[in-house]
Amino acid sequence: MTSTRNVLSDGTKIEDLIKVDTREVQMRALSDHEIYDLEMQRVFGHSWLLLGHETEIPAENDFIVRDMGSDSVIVARGKNGQISVSLNVCPHRGMKISTVDAGNTPIHKCIYHGWAFRPNGEFLASPVEKECMHGTMMSKAELSLEQARVTLYGGLIFATWDREGESFEDFLGDAKWYFDILFQRSDKGLEVLGPPQRFVVRANWKTAGEQSAADGFHTLTLHRWLGEVGNYAKSGQEGGADLSPEMIGVEVSSPHGHALRCIDLGRKIRKLTGLDPDVLSVDQKLDALPPPGVTREMVPQLKRKLSEDQLKVLVSMPPQVGGIFPNVLFAFVYIPQSDGTVLGLTLLHAYVPKGPDQLEFVNWVLAEKDTPQELKEKMLRQSIQLFGTSGMVEQDDSDTWPHMTTAAKGARGRKSTLKYQAVYATGAPEGWPGPGIVNEGFTKDDTQWHWWLHWHELMLANA
Amino acid sequence: MTAIQALPTADLARGECVPIGSDTYNQVLGFLYREASLLDAIKLKEWSALLSPELIYTVPLRQTRPMAQHAASIIRTVQHYHDDYRSIMGRIMRLTETKSAWAEDPPSRTRRLVTNVQVSTTGVEGELAVVSYLLLTRSRFDSPDLDLISGERNDVLRLVDGQLKLIRREVILDQAVLGTPNLAIFL
Repeated sequence: MTSTRNVLSDGTKIEDLIKVDTREVQMRALSDHEIYDLEMQRVFGHSWLLLGHETEIPAENDFIVRDMGSDSVIVARGKNGQISVSLNVCPHRGMKISTVDAGNTPIHKCIYHGWAFRPNGEFLASPVEKECMHGTMMSKAELSLEQARVTLYGGLIFATWDREGESFEDFLGDAKWYFDILFQRSDKGLEVLGPPQRFVVRANWKTAGEQSAADGFHTLTLHRWLGEVGNYAKSGQEGGADLSPEMIGVEVSSPHGHALRCIDLGRKIRKLTGLDPDVLSVDQKLDALPPPGVTREMVPQLKRKLSEDQLKVLVSMPPQVGGIFPNVLFAFVYIPQSDGTVLGLTLLHAYVPKGPDQLEFVNWVLAEKDTPQELKEKMLRQSIQLFGTSGMVEQDDSDTWPHMTTAAKGARGRKSTLKYQAVYATGAPEGWPGPGIVNEGFTKDDTQWHWWLHWHELMLANA
Repeated sequence: MTAIQALPTADLARGECVPIGSDTYNQVLGFLYREASLLDAIKLKEWSALLSPELIYTVPLRQTRPMAQHAASIIRTVQHYHDDYRSIMGRIMRLTETKSAWAEDPPSRTRRLVTNVQVSTTGVEGELAVVSYLLLTRSRFDSPDLDLISGERNDVLRLVDGQLKLIRREVILDQAVLGTPNLAIFL
């Protein structure tokens, strides 16, 4: 731990970037090139990273090109439907092999010297076989594309470069119990409603990453418009509706930096049914307000796939927003509509690091495969109107992160600290059935703090 | 992946070319210039008066695809904008009637440069199909760099009581990855 590999060039120890007792993070972490380079190896080199959903490449030989940290990868479906993730770098002279975003091909051929690879990354041949352009010093197996470890979870494609690291299941840890409620709740599972939106924000990836680890407080001010004229507005309320009731719920932290904000559905169910949610059964609540993308007809699927305890959480305090470490946000939100109904939306974002000062915002819109077409279209439109590129909620977020990144470059600013000092003292609600680090009440900073602690742990552990 | 039906786009092939410099062409040009100046001056309510209640307003995604699959580079499932008159009016309400539309407060300084205008009839009485190029420059805060948004607008305008109204706009952007942090502005 005292190795010089854990000391930055100006003598600062990585250990000291975080003050554990006062819950502070040095702001230089949001802009420093040296820290960024280390993150690419220690955080992005060792974490499971979200690359997409298998429904983006449904057929044999389909492929998409995505990023794992600072590396481009080819995500391809080969024979027998197997999905492989290959480093998108030709082992010959380093040319990017696939220069497009998506397509279908049985052979990925480098345009530079013609080396050819199968969808699973296997080196097939170089041109003019008898001249043996690839020499005889290395076997064809050695000249294949570098393979990442791949796992599918609820159809989501995750990959890691850490071949000996923990399993995906261990990576999710206790949080898996909650993520299963979102990603493993229907017979046929989720699907993407199209390719992801992509745009660049001139901000460090961690500004978005730490916010995704369930910053509840920012909704009150940054998303104030929601109470003024947006979906939470109430007529006759001077200065807009009070958003603070939406801040109350249960927050789940994870030693792996995952985070879930479980927000009370009681008020919505009371409004829809006119009844006290405490007297309603699980079935009655599912009937009144099934989760995003799920219709009443699909409710029996939930009961087959989820445990009684998971159903209890789903109908009363469902995980609505949060993060998968290091750079994923999920939103499974219940949006009030002007006609008094509620429309659920399901989205995932990845914040792909593109240098210390830039991230690529990748936004997938999803629905259950079984969601009726008409509902899918409604979900898609409202997702686009509220989230992602032109989304009225998230356009305010993406305008905030660049300022933090710039501030973190100042001679004084870089020594300032981010503070996570709103600490829960409540613990889990009585009878809460789920695992993990659980606290109830008005939102606090604990989930984000645990995100930073895991970042810190990886930055020190993988030296 | 579910193939969500693409919205009908202006079918330019059906119509007849409206000559450059003709009265109708000039009227269309006047409409596009007025629209650009209202948007750049952030007179959004005045701009909304140019919109038909039937408006469909979309901005597809783009992907990098091989030459042989160029048409597949335009994605109309998930899009950047997928709006109608009602949702555009909702966006205008957020920008003009709240104190916390931070993405445009302080506002961007923008220029919508509209060129290469081609007008044709659509086969529907009183309707015109208009193709134009858009170069939108966007300046935020104290950055000397301009965000550039370039693309082709495919519009349908309709004459209503002698006034042109926008009933359809699809903007085909050039970037697969947009170089601006959001589209809190109209294209």
